[in-house]
Amino acid sequence: MEINYRLKKYTFTTIIHLFLLVVAVSCIYPLLWMVFSSFKTQQTIFTNLSLIPERFRFENYYLVLTQENFGRYFLNSIFYTGSVVFSIIIIASLAGYAFSRLNFPGKNLIFIIFIGAMMIPTPGNFVPLYVLLNKLHLRNTPLGYILCMISGGLPLSIFLFKTFLDKMPQELEDIARIDGCSKLRIWWNIALPFAKPILGVVAIFNTLNVWNEYLLALVVFDSKHLMPLQRALVVFRGEYLTNYPLLMAALTITTLPVIVIYLLFQEYIVRGIVLK
Amino acid sequence: MEPNKVKSIRAWILLSGLFFLGCSPPEVREKRIVIWHWMTDRQPAFQELAERYQAQRGIQVDFQLYAPSEAYSQKVRAAAQGGNLPDIFGVLSEKRDFASLIKAGYILDLTPYMEEENFAWRNRFFPQALAVNKFSPDNTYGVNPGIYAVPIDMVAIAMVYNKNLLRKLGFNPSQPPQSFEEFLNLGRKIREEKLQGLVSGWGELWLIYCFAQNYAFNIMGKEKVLATIRGEVPYTDSAWIEVLRLFEEMKNSGIITNKVVSMVNKTAEQIFANEKAVFAFNGSWCVNVYKGMNPDLDYGIMLPPRISNRFPLLVWGGAGSSFMVNAHSPYREEAVKFLKWLTALEQQSYLVRKTNNLPAIKECREDLPQVLVDFSRLLEKSTHPNSWDVWELPLVNETLARGIQAIVLGKKTPQAVAQEVQRVKERELAKKSN
Repeated sequence: MEINYRLKKYTFTTIIHLFLLVVAVSCIYPLLWMVFSSFKTQQTIFTNLSLIPERFRFENYYLVLTQENFGRYFLNSIFYTGSVVFSIIIIASLAGYAFSRLNFPGKNLIFIIFIGAMMIPTPGNFVPLYVLLNKLHLRNTPLGYILCMISGGLPLSIFLFKTFLDKMPQELEDIARIDGCSKLRIWWNIALPFAKPILGVVAIFNTLNVWNEYLLALVVFDSKHLMPLQRALVVFRGEYLTNYPLLMAALTITTLPVIVIYLLFQEYIVRGIVLK
Repeated sequence: MEPNKVKSIRAWILLSGLFFLGCSPPEVREKRIVIWHWMTDRQPAFQELAERYQAQRGIQVDFQLYAPSEAYSQKVRAAAQGGNLPDIFGVLSEKRDFASLIKAGYILDLTPYMEEENFAWRNRFFPQALAVNKFSPDNTYGVNPGIYAVPIDMVAIAMVYNKNLLRKLGFNPSQPPQSFEEFLNLGRKIREEKLQGLVSGWGELWLIYCFAQNYAFNIMGKEKVLATIRGEVPYTDSAWIEVLRLFEEMKNSGIITNKVVSMVNKTAEQIFANEKAVFAFNGSWCVNVYKGMNPDLDYGIMLPPRISNRFPLLVWGGAGSSFMVNAHSPYREEAVKFLKWLTALEQQSYLVRKTNNLPAIKECREDLPQVLVDFSRLLEKSTHPNSWDVWELPLVNETLARGIQAIVLGKKTPQAVAQEVQRVKERELAKKSN
């Protein structure tokens, strides 16, 4: 009986592990292909189909870093991502707190409008956004781009904060109020620490969104010095011919910060997704 | 006042200040010609030419690259709405979109410049290259007749064949199949050798449509094809069914397999470059692509094998990249002068050497590598939808191409596809007339 039970348990565990292994390999393989291809030549990418190259060409990375203002684009992307994510966290957490804990006229209607905004894809707004930014003289400025990205990221972030803060015990807020906390103080000292897991989720979602964004930047910016990192990637993608080794090297460099951020926020992201 | 209130007022003043600082004043641009384009692989060559122009004429030219092409089109559309188009730009869409920008007054009519000095500028170009940028007096777009863009290179779409594989199959590599029957016979041998026959990006529907139209010209002649587009001949006509049947025959002979209908052109190019396929249906841009993928690839250029001698088999050719001049640009005269300079022999030869594209001007032919010479010869047997004054409805094209995919997969008969296309055509025409 005991042996039967153990056998069943081991078989089940082995199947689960095998399944997870297959899923993990299928997720990691494209990344490995990207990294190893970044050390190949254009010709060997198409002729030598083995994953690991015969000779590692580190000069691909040198070429990427010295071509097309890669460093400049990298710094631009860090600036845009930092500003947008910071602003979204502040605005969305304040708005989420207000929608969750305060009562004001039209609260539900305004919230529904915000949720409705989630349904509109950004590319559908390009022309009106462009015309608006042009009229405000914000076209071809970092502020114009940052404001557009903030407005694009807010609806989902507000929704996440609001639904999470709905679960915050009323008693916590009451105690803070008895201790003399203002509404802003409750948001800062009670709601924000309580919403830490969702803060991680909002941070990573928006980081990925801004870091990988390119289409809006292309429409808003005329000056290439203001472009984000994704601009450097398209340079290696020709109209007909793509320079795969350099593209893969650039992609590897581009992916690194996102992986670092994910590792930093990993705990919060998992908790945020589970608790939500 | 309470300290907290003072703090919040200060914060608001600071935030408002930051906002208004971010608003830049209206642009005041120094005298330079700004060009928007999407051609990533031509940017270094363009930059070099811009430097040469500045050295020769003292005018700064700024080639600004916006890729990929879909995003570029969005930018041009948005800039047109906002009145921010540059001095020179390209329009990357169908001729009716080009026409709508002309009608809105954004694009300068270049005819007077082309006709100066006894048509000197106009006569430089291959007629096929100019045809796609021209509107004839009886055009259906409602555009004033004239030439509205300057071609800088051209594309021809035809078949390429691998000489080594043809030799391996027992054929003379300098004599690829000329007739459709020879082509089908080759298919049986290809199947025996376990090679791939014809590869192409038929997952991208336009390439199927292009291939089918080549044979439509051969079977029924250009006039009847255009009459079909005008709605005067139905797609259920026996000539169209014959065109559709060719795909069934190619499938049965082994020239094409099911894989081709979902293949993207990048994959097809890779398969052909790796010498796994005997034929490919591709554009002249493939010269540069194959050079990058496999510099030792030995291949030749050919017309799709003819099925009939009654009408010429025409391939698509002529439409390449073109530049338009912004009609509202304060520097439009300088922009036209720059385009004249760019399309002169020296600059075109430089572009051909650097980019391996077909030149738009006739004089440049001597400078071409052999494969490009072969492609340029096909231009005499070419036409392009953008050079016609009628255009097929997009949904009809799509239905035809998807129908051909279904024929190759064995899911539909040529007759059924022809009926379906005709139904869509009638429905769309009825919608249009309402």
